[in-house]
Amino acid sequence: MRLARAYGRAMWDARLVLAYTLLLSLTLFILAPFLMIALRSVGKGWFGRLWLPPQLTLDWYRWAVEVGNIPEVMKNTLIIGVIAVAVSTVIGIFAGWAFGRRQMPGKEVLMAIILLPRMIPPITYALGVAQIFYTLELVDTYLGVALAHVSVCAPYAILVLSATFEGLDERVLEAAGVCGANTIKRFFYVVLPLIMPGILASMIFSFTHSYNEFTLTLLTYGPHTVTLPVRTYLAVGDGYWEITSAMAMLMVVPSLLILAVIQRRAKPEKLVGGFKGV
Amino acid sequence: MGTRTADMMRFWRTHASRLITLFLLLPALAGFFGLFFYPMLLTVILSFRPEGQAIGWTLENYTRFLADPDGRWVILLTFILSLGGTALSVLLSVPLALILREKVRGHRFYRLMVLVPLVVPGLIGALGLLLFWGTRGWFNLFLLQFVPFVQRPVAVNYTMHGLIMFYVWLYFPYTCITTLSSLESLDRSIEEAGEVSGATRWQVLRHIVLPLITPGILAGSVLTFMAAFGAFSVPLIAGGNYRPLAVEIYKQISVPIPARWSAASAIAIVMGVLQVIFLSLYMRFVRRAGGTGGPS
Amino acid sequence: MTDVTIEFRDVSKRYGTLVANDHLSLAIRKGELMTLLGPSGCGKTTALRCLTGYIRPDEGRIFIDGQDVTDVPTHQRELGMVFQNFALFPHMTVQDNVGFPLMIRNLSKAERAQRVAQALRLVRLEGYESHYPRQLSGGQQQRVGLARALVYRPKVLLLDEPLSNLDAKLREEMRFEIKEVVTRLEITAVYVTHDQAEALALSDRVAIMNRGRLEQVGTPEEIYEHPQSRFVAEFIGLSNFLEGYVQAVDGDTMVVSVGGLQMRIPVLAEAGPGQRVLLFLRPNEVELLRPDDPGGANVFDARVEKVTYLGDTLDYRLTFGQGLTLRVQSDAQRRFGQGAPVRLRFPRVRCWAITGN
Repeated sequence: MRLARAYGRAMWDARLVLAYTLLLSLTLFILAPFLMIALRSVGKGWFGRLWLPPQLTLDWYRWAVEVGNIPEVMKNTLIIGVIAVAVSTVIGIFAGWAFGRRQMPGKEVLMAIILLPRMIPPITYALGVAQIFYTLELVDTYLGVALAHVSVCAPYAILVLSATFEGLDERVLEAAGVCGANTIKRFFYVVLPLIMPGILASMIFSFTHSYNEFTLTLLTYGPHTVTLPVRTYLAVGDGYWEITSAMAMLMVVPSLLILAVIQRRAKPEKLVGGFKGV
Repeated sequence: MGTRTADMMRFWRTHASRLITLFLLLPALAGFFGLFFYPMLLTVILSFRPEGQAIGWTLENYTRFLADPDGRWVILLTFILSLGGTALSVLLSVPLALILREKVRGHRFYRLMVLVPLVVPGLIGALGLLLFWGTRGWFNLFLLQFVPFVQRPVAVNYTMHGLIMFYVWLYFPYTCITTLSSLESLDRSIEEAGEVSGATRWQVLRHIVLPLITPGILAGSVLTFMAAFGAFSVPLIAGGNYRPLAVEIYKQISVPIPARWSAASAIAIVMGVLQVIFLSLYMRFVRRAGGTGGPS
Repeated sequence: MTDVTIEFRDVSKRYGTLVANDHLSLAIRKGELMTLLGPSGCGKTTALRCLTGYIRPDEGRIFIDGQDVTDVPTHQRELGMVFQNFALFPHMTVQDNVGFPLMIRNLSKAERAQRVAQALRLVRLEGYESHYPRQLSGGQQQRVGLARALVYRPKVLLLDEPLSNLDAKLREEMRFEIKEVVTRLEITAVYVTHDQAEALALSDRVAIMNRGRLEQVGTPEEIYEHPQSRFVAEFIGLSNFLEGYVQAVDGDTMVVSVGGLQMRIPVLAEAGPGQRVLLFLRPNEVELLRPDDPGGANVFDARVEKVTYLGDTLDYRLTFGQGLTLRVQSDAQRRFGQGAPVRLRFPRVRCWAITGN
């Protein structure tokens, strides 16, 4: 115990050095994988103990586009993402309005139940979703895969938008009413601008979840609805690491764009409120 | 006819508010039942059906999995991976959050970096990690060239400790961001009061800051644990022979022909039940830990 | 200078272009309650933080008990501090909160308990040992803060707007209590506030600050009766300022010409004939007379511009002389309506002037 305390003290005294060491190692830990992917995607003949690839090439990108069919896959991912975001946002706005602004008996319990999917590993209900979609012939359709994504995105949208509607100040609406705004004007000039940031945050995060969703997609996709994560998985299975790296590079770009938007527009704490599509 | 309309009007007037609420909740409820509750129900039913049949009831799917030493190993492994990943995430996140709170130079960049694993697809992270930590990756290259007495590459990929580390990469942001936000909601004057009272910075950290952010750390670690327990994509491509529950379930429906849906469903139910039990225990623990402290 | 406990010697602190403390020099005597008074942003809080060591001054030194503490870390300065937002440790009971400084100093458990009990008795909070801060009212929380600051008998007690988070009634009660405790313990105290009534009621001496500089240091009486600048006069609640110049000096009286009228006021040592002066008059110290009352020295005709009813007093805006306006408050017994002619009398000793413009 005494030793531990002495050790703690010594670490504390060296805290500045330790802090920068930690930050540096963390940077390396988090970013090095991407660096490796980037190098791998442009390297040729990179074997043995070499720090950098001996030759550079863009061939792997050509392969990724032509054989890996990345433009098609990107299109699928975007279409599915847009449908999933639209459905989740509608669900989120309606439910958020109800939870955030209306009285109802057993609100907390109901909310806990609706948010239950966040507590359960997606693979458990993915099995059932796949079964149902086989029967309904929704497998391998944009709508089907997008609906599967909604099961992941919607609880998150509900959570964010409930908080948004709850944060809407009743007195501001009242003030607008006193100023002579009718219900419709009140909605467009007061309510909408106030909840817009919440809706935007919910949409951004829903899209991130959909874009990264893998578990449910893997169980509901088909040849016409291959999304980017599934394509990567298939490519890893094929074992062509260079081409896979090139694909991964193409996939990472939109994610980083989203990151930039999140940084500017929303609080990162909100991002962890929902779960990634594992 | 007239009285019918009047009745309806009266019904509407007395119940309007509730009906509107119900209407607003309708999409959410439809989604919940169609995409979660009914699928779960199907999975439960299927888990009690004999393999490949639509009628009859059996417990065999459960008994076979739970009686099998391999099955029990899968469960144990899932807990080792997710708890190990969670513990390391906490150890990484707390110092990191403490550093990032003191607006160090470039703290914006580091904050952004913490978010990277959250927004990038897990598969890509796993791919990059496999490349970096592999026998030909930079990690081993560094060891072989600059660290004496290292003669052969150190195995990281497809080992248990390697997989735990990958989990940390992927899931520590939950803990880190939650810890950071609870740190930033701390009132600085409380720490100042501690210092004026004669406590060194270290004592302030130990006696005041850490107890106060413990609930936040625990809440964040719950998020990390949940994500790690359900982890699928990373162990799928980077797990090698280490297959946690989620991967085991997928193997049941992807490897054998015909696919063993009932076995998969049984494992899925075991997994869901384990997570719910563990989470409720954890939550109770968190609440008790939060009860003695925390600004409320 | 052995009786000086705290000394600021030429302390400056800048934040970018903003000067929070501008060559501040101030000595605080042993056992005295000194108030730093000023509007928000005047640098009083910065001065206090320099004293605790939470902020390091850019220039100058700070001494406590003759020792230069400018480079001594906060926790070694042996201070006690009461915070505006109480700053109690929310995860500790009252007992542990008050006992925290003792625990840090490794006192035995028995002694700790005894000293905590003593401190709690001092602030009349016996019986609350096992409560958590969130279970207490604002006033009780602040008493815990006071007990925590005093429990280890610090050299200096610092109070940073300790009453501003309390409601008005409680504030007066606590004001009295703090004064009593500080007097009883004969501790040196530095009190920061923006509330002039609080400052006058509590302090042995008041230091009025403005824009990082000291405007005036003195006892509450000196500050109130003889403000040395227009800023101090305004801040302390004066609202009538009349500009004029000295016409003649006659023994202990000088004649000042204000807007074409002659006023006789106590002489200013440094003022000779021709010197521009600024007269201060409190609204409640001007007498209102009927127009047919006898005249005399310092009696002038005026006209009521506006009357406001304030319950026990009436507030008049008057015009007199050549375009002079004046606010006067008088009791409600004698009433004058709007536009009514009245007479004003300025009691000679109640007029206070400073030189300059």
